[in-house]
Amino acid sequence: MWDEYLFPASVEEALEMLEAHGGEARIIAGGTDLVLQSQRGQCPAKAMVDISRISGLDYIEEHNGLIYIGAQVTHGQVAASPLIRSRAGVLAEACGSVGGPQIRNVGTLVGNVVNALPAADGAIALFALDAEAEVAERRGRRWTPIANLYAGVGLCTVDPCAAMITQLRFGALGKGEAGAFERLAKRRALVLPILNAAAIVGLDGDKVEGARIAIGPVAEMPFLAVEAAGTLVGQTPVEERIAWVAQIAAQAAQPRDSLLRGSAEYRKAMVEVLVQRALWRAVKAASLQEGEDANP
Amino acid sequence: MPTLKMTLNGQEVSVDVEPGDLLAYVLRDKLGLIGTKISCGEGECGACTVLVDGKSVDSCIYPALKAQGREVVTIEGLGEDSRLDPIQQAFIDRTAPQCGYCIPGMVISAKALLDETPHPTRKEIEEGISGNLCRCTGYYQIIEAIELARERLAGKGGRG
Amino acid sequence: MSNKVVGQSVPKIDAATKVRGQRKFPQDFNLEGQLYAKVVWSEYPHARVLKVDVSQAEALPGVVAILTSKDVPVNEYGINIIDQPVLVGEGEKVRWLGDRIAIVIAESEKIAQKACQLVRVEYEPLPVVTDPREAMKPDAPLIHEERSDTNILKHIKIRKGDIEKGFAEADVIIEGYYVTPHVEHAYMQPEAGIGYIDEEGRVTVIAAAQWSHDDLHQISHMLNLPIDQLREIVPAIGGAFGGREDMYIQHLLALCAYCVRRPVKMVFDREESIRNTGKRHPYYMKYRTGATRDGKLTAVEIEIISDAGAYASTSVPVLSNSASFAAGPYIVPNAKVDAYTVYTNNAVAMAMRGFGSTQPAFAYEMQMNKLAEALKIDPVELRMKNLFEDGSIALTGNPMPPGVGIKEALRQTALAAGWGEEDGNWVKPELGPPSAPYKRRGIGVACGYKNVGYSFGFDDRTRVVVDLALDESGEIARALVKLGASDQGMGAHTALAQIAAEALGIDYQKVRMALVDTSMVPNAGSCSASRHVYISGNAVMRACQEALRKREEALRTGERRVSAEYEYRGRSVRPTTPYDGDSGMCNPHISYGYTSQIALVEVDVETGETEVLKVWAAQDVGRAINPEMVKGQAGGGVHMGLGYALTEEFIQKEGLVKTRRFSEYHIPTVADMPREFIPLIVEVADPTGPFGAKGVGEMTTLPTAPAIISAIHDAVGVWIDNLPATAEKVWRAMRSRS
Repeated sequence: MWDEYLFPASVEEALEMLEAHGGEARIIAGGTDLVLQSQRGQCPAKAMVDISRISGLDYIEEHNGLIYIGAQVTHGQVAASPLIRSRAGVLAEACGSVGGPQIRNVGTLVGNVVNALPAADGAIALFALDAEAEVAERRGRRWTPIANLYAGVGLCTVDPCAAMITQLRFGALGKGEAGAFERLAKRRALVLPILNAAAIVGLDGDKVEGARIAIGPVAEMPFLAVEAAGTLVGQTPVEERIAWVAQIAAQAAQPRDSLLRGSAEYRKAMVEVLVQRALWRAVKAASLQEGEDANP
Repeated sequence: MPTLKMTLNGQEVSVDVEPGDLLAYVLRDKLGLIGTKISCGEGECGACTVLVDGKSVDSCIYPALKAQGREVVTIEGLGEDSRLDPIQQAFIDRTAPQCGYCIPGMVISAKALLDETPHPTRKEIEEGISGNLCRCTGYYQIIEAIELARERLAGKGGRG
Repeated sequence: MSNKVVGQSVPKIDAATKVRGQRKFPQDFNLEGQLYAKVVWSEYPHARVLKVDVSQAEALPGVVAILTSKDVPVNEYGINIIDQPVLVGEGEKVRWLGDRIAIVIAESEKIAQKACQLVRVEYEPLPVVTDPREAMKPDAPLIHEERSDTNILKHIKIRKGDIEKGFAEADVIIEGYYVTPHVEHAYMQPEAGIGYIDEEGRVTVIAAAQWSHDDLHQISHMLNLPIDQLREIVPAIGGAFGGREDMYIQHLLALCAYCVRRPVKMVFDREESIRNTGKRHPYYMKYRTGATRDGKLTAVEIEIISDAGAYASTSVPVLSNSASFAAGPYIVPNAKVDAYTVYTNNAVAMAMRGFGSTQPAFAYEMQMNKLAEALKIDPVELRMKNLFEDGSIALTGNPMPPGVGIKEALRQTALAAGWGEEDGNWVKPELGPPSAPYKRRGIGVACGYKNVGYSFGFDDRTRVVVDLALDESGEIARALVKLGASDQGMGAHTALAQIAAEALGIDYQKVRMALVDTSMVPNAGSCSASRHVYISGNAVMRACQEALRKREEALRTGERRVSAEYEYRGRSVRPTTPYDGDSGMCNPHISYGYTSQIALVEVDVETGETEVLKVWAAQDVGRAINPEMVKGQAGGGVHMGLGYALTEEFIQKEGLVKTRRFSEYHIPTVADMPREFIPLIVEVADPTGPFGAKGVGEMTTLPTAPAIISAIHDAVGVWIDNLPATAEKVWRAMRSRS
């Protein structure tokens, strides 16, 4: 385990601490993944920089149609947030499926993203939401699409020993837009997913105006089924069309045989099932809602 | 060695800890509070559940120093010498404890649930203990105990 | 029958300390000046140990001692067959991952762990034997070449009637091949304890154990010390389910204390516990069942191959049990059973809830349900035509003793689940529409039965001492019941206290159960075989009766303390006998408990997932000493059975354990349990049981898996013959069917 546990009072102080330790310190938020990694010898950092006391990182807010989520926000807070439930329900569903209450009370959504595992439930929903992350480095802050954070399984392009992600943002779902999240796992709670899928659909009248489908873990990072989603745009989302889209998504996904998760063949077949179900629910929810509220 | 200062079961407590210590081990080995149990060691079973600022956490993967300045409640903080907390009493009355190893974690999770949601539905009760494993009971009598605690606390118009 | 205490759901004797978190489990003890020990485990499932170099580890500051095989006075132990090394030394073999090379004792656990990593062991890997069917073959590598020229540890045969004639009489013959996996006990309390030298110089162990007195015999052999120089104290046990019947830590603690003469504490983490301790036996079961058109069983032919793993443990008694239960609680006039248990390099297989009755229950109930389908007879009705009654002749040729409540258990379960019954004709209920268009509903029935008490001539006995404290008027102020009976959590102590209170005619609150400390309490046998209520309860009852007689005398003399002792032996009431070597005929068991369960499920036809909506579970316990405790056993049994059926997959490849954590080995959460659970208590008394009571602890897990798996078939038309029925397995089965 680590030799130092530090509490910066600001993002700037956190970055100073990281720099001062020359790559041997790293950011910790909830630590629900990090503590285990450290115990298993997979986290070489000698100092932990705990961001939980920095004021002003615990918000879930909407400004000008964009929802902002701070780095301290836990999965539990996202799942319970009335704003998220009404304007980005797919993310509430995803975060609510992580672990159990104890994990959700401590683990943060941003931390889940930084952990960069392809099955991370919150991240899958963020991909579907086309989210961006704000990276804070010594030289300044910048926004970057979430897909740019993934360098490989468990590898974030943002080095948690040199920088931190301060917030996420994505467009709140508006009129005619809704999402849904589906998950397959070996038991019904307290378990990592075999497969998860998030779909967001926007309708204009009876035609699909926009669609995004994110799936995990079928690749080294959350997988965006771009071709499949594209097939839906401009179409009327009837059952047969959705089934067809799900098939294309399944064809594009390349899961591997896994001792604990199941065979590639099964997982590929389940991509089709989950995508079909997520799309169907998203379409139903999108066509149901009239005004500002979307309820998947 | 850094010092951890927290409000533990209502008392101000100060204890020297290693930077890498985890809260469950500090509670058990340094503070002598053996009520919090270690079972899976990876935040996967809830036997180690304690409250930090009212929220249930798996203390076996919670860095001890993270509790700096926080309010921590363990099973020892419930009830008094002469009287059990209504949740604890309900667990006895519904024959919930079998081997008892999961029970402190279950009681704390139940407390977190009832503090936040005084009138939980059965589904909410199940969600509230979905992070707590038990190998003895099949959970039914634990659910019944929480339902009984809910009724009794509602009847009293609050805790106490 | 109305009693004041027996039959009441009184609060459990230790519930208050448990809800307070005060009740101490072995890891909760700390002694002044204690050291900490960690084990160096084998890295290979089968290998010769060439070299053990502890020099680097010994040099680490804070290391007090490193024990190797040279430090063990008699380096062998075993609960039934003494075939297990305490520590494997140079030139000797490791036979599974759980073999131990060394024990490091240090000033802190952290130092001990670090030192373990510095112990250098050189191995010469040997071929790994992973399949007992392969291991049986004459050319298979031998696991215990020093003991035998075969890996087959035991073969039991039963030959009843005329099997050829039996099948000739059958109109329908069902064949099935069933495979059940290793199962991890997954008790919530990992192995832990302290070894120390007590104030009388005894090597003392505080640990969770199912049979503390027997542990002492094994430790006595290992340390070459007489039993009166040994002591074991059993505090609260955090679950056992058979997993603490063999020693996994007690002897290690004793050895440490013996060697360093200081208190030594050892705690296994969960990975150590899963990786290095015993599991339920995997079974490969071939069944052939014949019946007439109107549903009467005529013949059954069974082959069972059990994977004993690296060491015998109780594989032979478990196999003996299995063979006796192999045909199920049914009258079968002609039978041929061949049961084998075979060494491999897999995890040591040992006692686990059911003790060999669980696996055959899956097989024989699947056979019954397949038969019901083939004959187009309702599964409840088919069973009613064949189930035991008092006096029915069992597979082993013995008449079933009074108290056969299986038909009553099934009747109550079926009626509760909505079956209609008229003149012996049973009709399945309508199941209602599924909750989604891609789901199908199904319902499945199963029965089971389990022995209560030890078997095959093993001398089942419990000795109890009851001390009474009388007040001035000679009334009993307090009673202390002393016996070495472990309470794993099911409430054995509470039930015995209730029996004592009833027998003494006093309030339950006046009865205290003594701490299980071998130096203070007599041998009560193991907490296993669902035996404590029946055997120990009988002993407690009679000891109390004796105490009351002595109280009569005390009233005359003015003596205020009374002590009575009684040893109850099962054979005094129902002697059991071992198998006849050729025919397998015997009187295998003392008493029996009977159970029936029905499961309503929904299967997702697109994913293969199964959701269990309802389980009705009836247990014939003879007499429920504490009804709520019986329901608790039912809930726990269904939990384990549901895990067996659906979620628990212990993966071992080439002898290496792949599922080593609770995040990888999935026991059911509350969300996985049946949405509705209806436990039913049936009381068909065994006249020889205390107040008619039999036992309950194990049988509640027997019918769950076959009921669920049969319900899956009812829903989607596929039979899953090997457990668990994961979503992928069900999905594949559905695809190959269509």
